[in-house]
Amino acid sequence: MTDGTPHRPAGAHARHGGPAPHDTHERAETEPAVPEPAGPRALLDALWPPRVTRSQLLAAALLFALGLGLAIQVRAASSEETALRNARPEDLVRILSDLDDRTARLEDERARLEEQRTDLETSSDQAEEARRQTRERESQLGVLAGTVAAEGPGITLRIGDPRGAVEADMLLDAVQELRAAGAEAIQINDVRIVADTSFVDENGGVRIDGQPVGAPYLVSAIGRPQDLEPALNIPGGVVQSLENEGVGVIVDRPETVLVGALRSAEQPDYAQSSP
Amino acid sequence: MIAVLGLVLGVVAGILTRPVVPTGVEPYLPIAVVAALDAVFGGVRAMLDGMFDDKVFVVSFLSNVTVAALIVFLGDKLGVGAQLSTGVVVVLGIRIFSNTAAIRRHVFRA
Repeated sequence: MTDGTPHRPAGAHARHGGPAPHDTHERAETEPAVPEPAGPRALLDALWPPRVTRSQLLAAALLFALGLGLAIQVRAASSEETALRNARPEDLVRILSDLDDRTARLEDERARLEEQRTDLETSSDQAEEARRQTRERESQLGVLAGTVAAEGPGITLRIGDPRGAVEADMLLDAVQELRAAGAEAIQINDVRIVADTSFVDENGGVRIDGQPVGAPYLVSAIGRPQDLEPALNIPGGVVQSLENEGVGVIVDRPETVLVGALRSAEQPDYAQSSP
Repeated sequence: MIAVLGLVLGVVAGILTRPVVPTGVEPYLPIAVVAALDAVFGGVRAMLDGMFDDKVFVVSFLSNVTVAALIVFLGDKLGVGAQLSTGVVVVLGIRIFSNTAAIRRHVFRA
């Protein structure tokens, strides 16, 4: 490097000797007359007026590269990354352990929050599930208690009784047969049949739950039709015994059976639900 | 004057364009910059001495940068990159000081 820079008079002169002798030699010759230090005027002369010479342009190109490198390096060195790169090992260890502590704290917090979230989610899920089950149960019980209308597959039973031969116990038999076969909702004419429905004989007809019901009796039952129909038709069963009395019975299996008769829900006077 | 303009333009371009230095070159850039600074101060001193030659300046500039980068590269390969770059910076710093001392004597006659 030492011989590269042109500040050693001997080497520089030796190089100048060959290729470009004129102006440097002239200066070198005139210089002994002038005092040795060039003074600030030399610097000013070099700066102003600007001369477009090959050497100026070359120097400008090299200095352009230098300025570029300088700017890049200054910007790179002032970035945060370099602060870590130049830090001492002890500082780095401290920073690392700080980060570890912070990570552990944040992990703890995250675990806590996630647990909380899971709790909230499951609790809201559970409440929703409980509400859903309650609604389902309510409608099931409503069908059983006769407080809501029901529809679905099932059978209809038309008991034509022109002579008034049908008695309460025959209807009760039919209802019990249907229940045993899995009927879920039953109505006779416009009366919903529930657990405490009563059948009472009246001259020329039947009272169901106190309401007079006359022929023809139209029984609608919701349940599995494949179970209900054979249950009625078994030998010695409801249909046969009715026919023995001379009563015409028609069993039909429509697409959907509507049990639309309602019954008001009665609050029990004494019994209370016990969990 | 044009040379000074070149330096200013280089700095401005470096700030404005924000070029991305390839990671392979990154470790050599600071040393190269210091070596180039050394060559520039040598050139200024030669100019004040009245013996500035553009060819010598170009060759010294390029060889300074190349040799400095090579030394750092070699140091990295040998596992003493940090120490060697410190050594290069110290040597170049001494040379920059001696050159600025010569320039100072010219400019301030002191």
